[in-house]
This record gives sequence, structure tokens and C-alpha cells, in this order.
Amino acid sequence: MDLVTQSLVIGLTEYAPLVLAAIGFALLYRLTGLINVAYAETLTLGAYFGVWLNTSFGLDFYAVLIPVGIMSGLLSVATYLAVFRPAHRRNVGALEMIIISFGLSIFLRYGLQFVFGYPVRYFDVPPPDTVDLLGVGVGSFRLLALISVAVLSLVLYLFIQRTSYGLKVRALASDEALAKVSGIHPLVVTVLIWFIAGVAGGLAGAFLGVGSAVAPLLGWRQFLFILLVVLVGGSWGLGGVIVAGVVAGIAVAAMTLQFGQVLYAQLILIIAFIVILKIRGTRLTETAKV
Amino acid sequence: MLDAFLISGLYGVVLVTGLALLLHLQLGLVRIANFGVAGFFGLGMYVFGVLYVQVDWPFGEPWQFFVCAAAATVVSGLAGILVGWLIADLDTDGVLVSTLGFATVVAILATTQADLTGGAEGLGGLSFPFDIGRTKDNEFLWLLITAAVVVAILAYVWQVHRAPYGRLLIGIGGNEPLARSLGKASYRTKIWLFCVASAGMGLLGAMNAVMVRFLDPANIGIDITLAAMVGLILGGTARAWGAVVGVLLTVGLFDIVIQFYLPLPKDWYNQAIPVLREAVFGFTLIVVLLFRPLGVLGDMRRDRLMRKLHGR
Repeated sequence: MDLVTQSLVIGLTEYAPLVLAAIGFALLYRLTGLINVAYAETLTLGAYFGVWLNTSFGLDFYAVLIPVGIMSGLLSVATYLAVFRPAHRRNVGALEMIIISFGLSIFLRYGLQFVFGYPVRYFDVPPPDTVDLLGVGVGSFRLLALISVAVLSLVLYLFIQRTSYGLKVRALASDEALAKVSGIHPLVVTVLIWFIAGVAGGLAGAFLGVGSAVAPLLGWRQFLFILLVVLVGGSWGLGGVIVAGVVAGIAVAAMTLQFGQVLYAQLILIIAFIVILKIRGTRLTETAKV
Repeated sequence: MLDAFLISGLYGVVLVTGLALLLHLQLGLVRIANFGVAGFFGLGMYVFGVLYVQVDWPFGEPWQFFVCAAAATVVSGLAGILVGWLIADLDTDGVLVSTLGFATVVAILATTQADLTGGAEGLGGLSFPFDIGRTKDNEFLWLLITAAVVVAILAYVWQVHRAPYGRLLIGIGGNEPLARSLGKASYRTKIWLFCVASAGMGLLGAMNAVMVRFLDPANIGIDITLAAMVGLILGGTARAWGAVVGVLLTVGLFDIVIQFYLPLPKDWYNQAIPVLREAVFGFTLIVVLLFRPLGVLGDMRRDRLMRKLHGR
């Protein structure tokens, strides 16, 4: 019972930022059909923006969250307008789009070091308060991340399902030509999607960065987890992504507690998710194997 | 005799050219984006290193090298069959996650199995299968041997382009359902292709283990995959020579021309140049795929009959 409680609390609080990032990634993936490898760098740059605002202007961690969200959202929109929109207009294929996003990821990851410097950076914040949750001590930043994920998930769900803009987003994702005929301006809606995804990624990066070091590989190290969660859980919409992310986080926490080594837990998770993808099959299965 | 640093730079060009040629078979012909090149390369490197250092062989060099390199090649080929089976009926997204996942699994095992691999501290104790004098002489000879292996890979790729097997690969890459409907065994072909290409990557990993003589999980990062991919895409994914031209223009430019012939401040070489190298590689991928998706060499060279039919 002790292991179950600990896994639940640690899994939920430690992996909450990644669930938030997965929601943003899934939004892009489901509504634009793009696997954006450069999304990893939205997390990394979110953490760097946070450190810069925190150390250069003396803002405390809670105060940097809103500007970090806005800056990351704008960065995400800039990557769309500068790279992905021109690629889309040139009818670049799905395979090439992934490679372009891989190139953009590398370019941003290394390019940011010329702006923010080479050394690893740290938030200048006092040690977080420890809150007792079901008998397990949790840092206040982690708890805030968990609450943020819950609130943002609800806001995103309501936005997509209940607002007129959400309806436009779903219409555009469903049938772009029909959406255009219906008077929906695709550029405005698409920019909105990229902005929201960027906000989610940037905030996730700031939450990850405040609990550890801010380094160029911060986002890339989490990318496979996010990708697996979205590909496995994404079939059931944003709700499926959240459930897959939460379950995966709790499972990794439980295995880490059991084996005493987080890498073993990640290893098992990667293999399990790939096996699920294989069993579930994909779009080519209907043509049968020769 | 070449300078020791120049030997190292040339070796990097030769090694990445070999990986890019093998990636060309997957990405250029069958249009499978293998993001796990570093995984197969790393598997070969570590299987070779672990067998070489941890097993008490009853025979000496060069047989110890041949047996360990053969084992590394076979194990990487078997891993290629497994990954090929996993991805054979997956779309591009599934291929990305599976190949990236495989590379991550190899890196995790290299780190966690410290009793065998040395973990994060690394594994030493490797040596050349010969000794002709100074370390620099041995490295130069090893560069020549690796270059011979890469030339053999180029010859194989060249041959594939002109064989019915190559046309089958191109057909599957162009329209897989159509190839299946014509009775072509696309599933089996993709698995076999992955087996061969992965075995080649594993062999190059084993050869790299001899050159570096100290194995570290940091050596099997995504930068290996990036270097092979950017070289191939810049040169041209559709052409056999694309990988060679592209790697010379990318890795050759940074690891030889900039490292040895540009009078840059010394402290730039520690951080600025390696960081700039990767950033430029990433930017190159974007620019080439946006403005010249077929790379420097352009479209596939068609055989005489096809050129006649298309009037060129």
C-alpha cells in the first residue's frame, strides 16, 4: 500500500509537467497532423526564458510563468510562420516535414547556446516548501505543476469543446477545404493552435527547469516520453493523452521505487509502448502483408 | 605521414559516409526515416567492446578482432530484423518513435549495465588488431582499412541501384500498396533491408571502437544520426553518390577545413565550433528540404531505357 501511495503521489507530481507538454504536443499533432520534433526545444527554451527572467530581472518563479508562457507561445508561432507554413505551401511530404522539424530542433538546441551561453543554468529561487500529500513530502513547485496541469487541461478541454473558436479548430482539423468554404480563416486558427501548444510546452519546460538544471538537452531528454504518450493515448483524444501520461508517470515512479534506477523504468516503458503501437497496428494494415 | 588530428578528421568523414550510405538504402530508396542510426552503430560498438574486453579468448590478434567484429555485425543485424519487424507496417510517426526508442534503449543499456560496459565511466582496454609502430601509424592504417570497408559499402549500394532488388526497393518507397498488389513481398523486403543496413552500421560501430579505444555512452548520441542524415540529404537522397558528396560538404567542411585550415582563435574549438557545427547541420536540413529537396546531386539517375522514354 505504501508503494502504491508513493508511486501515485510521485508519479502525479513529477510527471505533471510532461503531461502538460504532451497535451500541447497532442493538440498540434491531432489538429495539424504534424509530428513536431522541435517541440522538445519549446520545453528547453521555456526553461531558458524562465531562468533569464528570474536571474536578470529578479522575478520570482511564480511571476515568470505568465511571460514564459507568452514568449514560448510566440516562439512556437514564429517556427510555424518561418518554417512549417512555407513547407506546407511547398507541399513538402510528411516524411520530409518530420526531418525538417528534426533539423529545426537541432538548430534551436544549439543556436540557443549562442544566446544564453554554454554553461548549465539554474533558477535563483529559495528551496521549495515541502507539502505533505498522503504522507509523502512534495515540493511546492511540483504541486503547482500538478495544479496547473489540472487547470490547463480543463481550460483546453472547455476551449476546444465549448467555444466557437474550439469549433473552428475542430472543423479545420476535420476538413480544411470545407472549413475554408464555411468562412473559417485557417491562418488565424492555426496560429492560435501553435500559440496554445507553445504556451503548454514553455510552462512545462519552466516547471522541469526549476526542479533541476537548465541545459540544452532538457527538452530532448523528455521528447520520447511525450511522443510515446501522444501516439498511444492520442487515439482517444486529449483525454486519452492525459490518461496515458498519468498512467505512464505513475508506472515509471513505481518501477523506479522498485528497481532503484529510473533508467530501467524508462527502458520498460519504451518497450511497452512500442509493443502497444505494434499490436495496435496502423493505417497500412488493411492492405495486408504479402 | 598525415597529422594525427587530420587522421582523426578524415576518419570521421569516412565513418559518417559509411553510415550515410547505409541510411541511403533506407531513406533514399524505401523512404524509411531511420532516426536510430546511433542505436545500431552503438550496439555494434558495445557488443564488440564487451566481447573484446570481458571475454578471455583462447586466441590472440587478429582473430580476436575478427570474431568480436563478426559477433557485433550479427547482433546488429538481428536487432535490425527486430526493429524492421516492428516498423514494417507502421507509418512515418511509428517509424520515428520505434527507431528513436531503439537508440534510446541501446544508450540506456550502455549506461545501466556498468558491470559489462563500464557504464557512464566508460570502457577501456581496446587495441588495434596489429601493431606497426607508433599510435599514429596504427591509426593511419586503421583509417585506410575503414575506408576500404566504406568503399565496399559504396560498391554494394551502387550495385543495388542497378539490380532488380534496387528497383523493388524504389517501388516500395514510391507506392507500397501498389508494390504489394503486384505481388511484391514488401514486408519481407523491408525487414531484410533493415537487417543488412543495421549489420553494416554495427560493423562500422565495431571498427570505430578500435579507433577510439575507449567506449563512452556519450559517443552514441543523436549527433551521429544527425551527421549521417544531413550529409545524405544535402548530397541527395536519391543518388548513390549523394551520401559521399554531402558528408564531404558537411562533416568534411567542419572536421577538416575549419578545424585545420582556418586560423580561428584556439578557444573557439572547445565550444563555439562544435556548437556551431550542429546548429549549421540543423539549419542545412531545413534549407535543403525547403528549397532543394533532392539535394546537390538532384534526381535519381535513370537507366538508358528510362532516359530515352522521358526524353533526357
